[in-house]
Amino acid sequence: MFFPEEMIEVELIVPEENAVAVTNMLAEEGVFHQVDAGYVKSNEEAGPAVAASDWQQRASAFAALERRLLTIMDVLGVEEGVPLPDSDAITDVEAVRPDVERLEKQVQDVTGDLEAEQKRREQLQSYIQQLEPIKQVEVPVNLLRHPSYVFSVLGIIPEDHLTRLETSLTHIPFVLVTLLKDNRRAVVVLAGMQQHADILDRAARSAYLNPLNLPDEYQGTPQQIIDALQAEIAQMHQHAVEREGAISELRKQHQEQLQTLLWRVRTGRLLSDALARVGRLRYTCLIVGWVPTARLDALTQQLKQVTDDVLIETTPVSRSHAGQDVPVALKSPGILGAFRVLVTIYGRPRYEEIDPTIFIAVTFPLLFGAMFGDVGHGLLLALLGGLLASRKVRALRGLAELGPIIIICGLVAAVFGLLYGSVFGVEGILPALWFRPLDNIMSILTTTIGAGVVLLSLGFILGIINACVARDWGALIVGHNGIAGATLYWSLLGIAVQLILGKQVVPIPVLIVLAALAGVAVMFSEVLQRLIDGHRPLIEGGVVTYVVQAVFEMADTLISILSNTLSYVRVGAFAVAHAGLSAVFFILAEMISPAHGVGYWIVVVLGNVFIIGFEGLIVGIQTLRLEYYEFFSKFFKGGGLQYAPLVSLSKRGSK
Amino acid sequence: MGGGDVSEYAAIHARVRAMYAAMLSSETWRDLCGASDLTSLIDLLKETAYGPYIAEVEDSRLTPRRTAYQIRKHLAAAFDAIVQLTPAPTRSLVNRLCRRYEVDNLKALLRGIENNTPWEQVNFVLFPLGAFTELPGQEMVEAESVAAAVDLLQGTSYYDTLSHAMKRYAEEQSLFPLEVALDLAYWRDLWRNVGQLSNASRMPGRRVVGSQLDANNLLWAIRYRVNHRLSEEEIINYTLPFGYRVRDEDIRAIAAGADIASIVSRIYPEMGDVTSLLREPQSGIPELEVQLQRYNASVYHNAFLGYPFHIGIPAAYLLLAEMEIQDLTLLLEAKSAQLPLERFQPHLLVGCISEQR
Repeated sequence: MFFPEEMIEVELIVPEENAVAVTNMLAEEGVFHQVDAGYVKSNEEAGPAVAASDWQQRASAFAALERRLLTIMDVLGVEEGVPLPDSDAITDVEAVRPDVERLEKQVQDVTGDLEAEQKRREQLQSYIQQLEPIKQVEVPVNLLRHPSYVFSVLGIIPEDHLTRLETSLTHIPFVLVTLLKDNRRAVVVLAGMQQHADILDRAARSAYLNPLNLPDEYQGTPQQIIDALQAEIAQMHQHAVEREGAISELRKQHQEQLQTLLWRVRTGRLLSDALARVGRLRYTCLIVGWVPTARLDALTQQLKQVTDDVLIETTPVSRSHAGQDVPVALKSPGILGAFRVLVTIYGRPRYEEIDPTIFIAVTFPLLFGAMFGDVGHGLLLALLGGLLASRKVRALRGLAELGPIIIICGLVAAVFGLLYGSVFGVEGILPALWFRPLDNIMSILTTTIGAGVVLLSLGFILGIINACVARDWGALIVGHNGIAGATLYWSLLGIAVQLILGKQVVPIPVLIVLAALAGVAVMFSEVLQRLIDGHRPLIEGGVVTYVVQAVFEMADTLISILSNTLSYVRVGAFAVAHAGLSAVFFILAEMISPAHGVGYWIVVVLGNVFIIGFEGLIVGIQTLRLEYYEFFSKFFKGGGLQYAPLVSLSKRGSK
Repeated sequence: MGGGDVSEYAAIHARVRAMYAAMLSSETWRDLCGASDLTSLIDLLKETAYGPYIAEVEDSRLTPRRTAYQIRKHLAAAFDAIVQLTPAPTRSLVNRLCRRYEVDNLKALLRGIENNTPWEQVNFVLFPLGAFTELPGQEMVEAESVAAAVDLLQGTSYYDTLSHAMKRYAEEQSLFPLEVALDLAYWRDLWRNVGQLSNASRMPGRRVVGSQLDANNLLWAIRYRVNHRLSEEEIINYTLPFGYRVRDEDIRAIAAGADIASIVSRIYPEMGDVTSLLREPQSGIPELEVQLQRYNASVYHNAFLGYPFHIGIPAAYLLLAEMEIQDLTLLLEAKSAQLPLERFQPHLLVGCISEQR
């Protein structure tokens, strides 16, 4: 529960002929996180073995077939469907290719070259668009395109480029007339003197003004050419209507076959990809990956059922020597899983790191509840969480993952509401089982600082445990969050508490000596860590620079210690603000309707909605901040590799 | 600067602050720059936030290009995280910032097609955008021609721009008009989007995005004039009339043949001696580019100061993260070629540069 799931490295050596069956089985089981072993090759020429590059080629071939199938399905309007239960076995590419080609041909026979036809239609439309603004000109187009005495261009330009084109020609006389603007493009005529033809031409080209390039076959006035073009488009449209019936027929005939083919091809691609990452020895194959240790026995049994000739080598990996290539599977049972999202937003734990999910699952609702303590608001928030989790409101489905967190936070806030004696901001109905924050401001503030001290101390302890597990002795002994950092913190805390309370449990001189020793260790932690870890040189860039840097870092550490602790004051401050804000709304309501009429209740209801929505959000963010900055920064680095097992498509579909 | 901005940006602000704090520290940069060879550099990188992405690939396959591809996944993940947390009205800006990598990918794909480079090689030059991209990369590279590849883009936001520019490609058989058209369309769209931001976000958004736009626009104008020797009207048409500090008059003056150094000095008085820098334009322009980018890095860092609830902070972080990756890519190439520190350090944007200042 405290660490990511224990993983074990598994090497499977299987006869070449069983490689496909074993890979199939691994995908079926869905627990094997495969690692690329394609770099392993036999020194001798492999006999009948299929090289990894062949599987790579097959994967590419499957991918190409998949794209072709998707194109056919797109043209026919066929949905992808879902993977069939029996579609998990790998198929030979050549067994599927003829079917795909036959279907492709059938579709092409009916549709013709749709792409070419579409382009042709767009081109004709473009001619019409360019001719439209000058259709009333009763002059043959040929004369407009080749004037004798002026330079002119009629064409289309992206609308965004118009102003720039004008700017680029400010130093010569010219005329730029926009005839039509449509779909972020403009039909324009650019004209100027022949002696400036070079400049005008360069400007037009660089502004992407594409001149009208009507083929010579179109003769006559603009209106005559437009009529001819429209007739051609109408003819093409008639062909399209006739074709639609045939497409519909094809869809009915081949829908099921296309869907089956698609999922067979996809399975082929998935498994070929996996097989391309298998290492090739002379007669055997090497499949390497990671499995959760708890699942190893079950997987071994399944493997033995596929073939008795499989050799399974396992390498347990200790957390202290785990590299970053060990995948991290987080196991957070039940409701704890809901809080995992708050951890993974910050980072995925490394294999050797404590998974902070359980700590955030406990501390997050407590901090939230303490800041938002109110029976009524808490229960309403819990109801809202329930609504989110139920996924009944389509618009809120994206937030469903947060539902359980909001439910728990709402319930804890309700419990704190009982402790504070607050319901919907009214503080006279329920007795306070603990105390009312607004009447005991100093008590709530000191209590929350105390809670902060406990949490920060826990952070230091977890940091020390992490350093121990990772055997990072330097960080453990003299690190800012190691023993030295914790000793400095606790010593300074001890001095402060004893001075404030006027009591002495541990002699202050002893604490001063401890703080000084720990302070020196923290100040020179970089050098000391390099010394302990055996890294050289101890100091880079000069002793003086280093000492100056160390002094500043020490100052920074002391400020951090103080600010991290005082940061928890906000918990108390928000508890007070919550009660204060509620009181403000009651005062406002009283001012609007002293006789407690409709206006009074409208303000009260709106005020409560505001508190639940706005203040709830702010409190949530503040809680997250306390967790991430103050708590996590003491022990959690993150950056672990996600556990992504090979899973068959049908299994994915069923999930 | 109302409560709406505070509530909308609080979560993303907290997240981005955490990501900003996780960027490579000066100590880490010092270690990385001092790595004895490529293998040690990669080993050091494995201990950073880039580690999980590098660990996805077997050590023996980690060439500089492949490693650079893997570390770019970190930026893709950052985009993913930020897009999800960005409030809906400004999410389109973050998406558009991400689209610049798609534009670069598109250019790389077109170059791959023209040079007949196989997909396996082109793939690792691309920015790994995952689900963010609408480009059918492999199909495009496997298409027979640039025209066929552009046809495959139908339905995407690039089709209109490219299909219009294809006329010039057909005439000139050069990718230049296509690439310029893509750049201009991208920046016009992005700038339009910045103008539509809420009041609190518009100014910081303009400062961050506009600073990057300024550097690009200025360098385009200078390069078109000095390297490509284009005419005044072409330079104007291939550049943009807006920006944050660079005005249209500046671009037009450069296009018309005015002294470049004095224009750059006036726009960026903090930049130092630009005249001597541009005395040798061929070597001076790349150096000017580095200085502009470093200036922009300081703008992005400054975005984290002051009122925090606006889009400027996520945008600045993403641009800084991109610079960090640019530097790491350069470092990988440098260590692979066994270049000494003094050869590559002048080209770094955010890493190992404190000693030079």
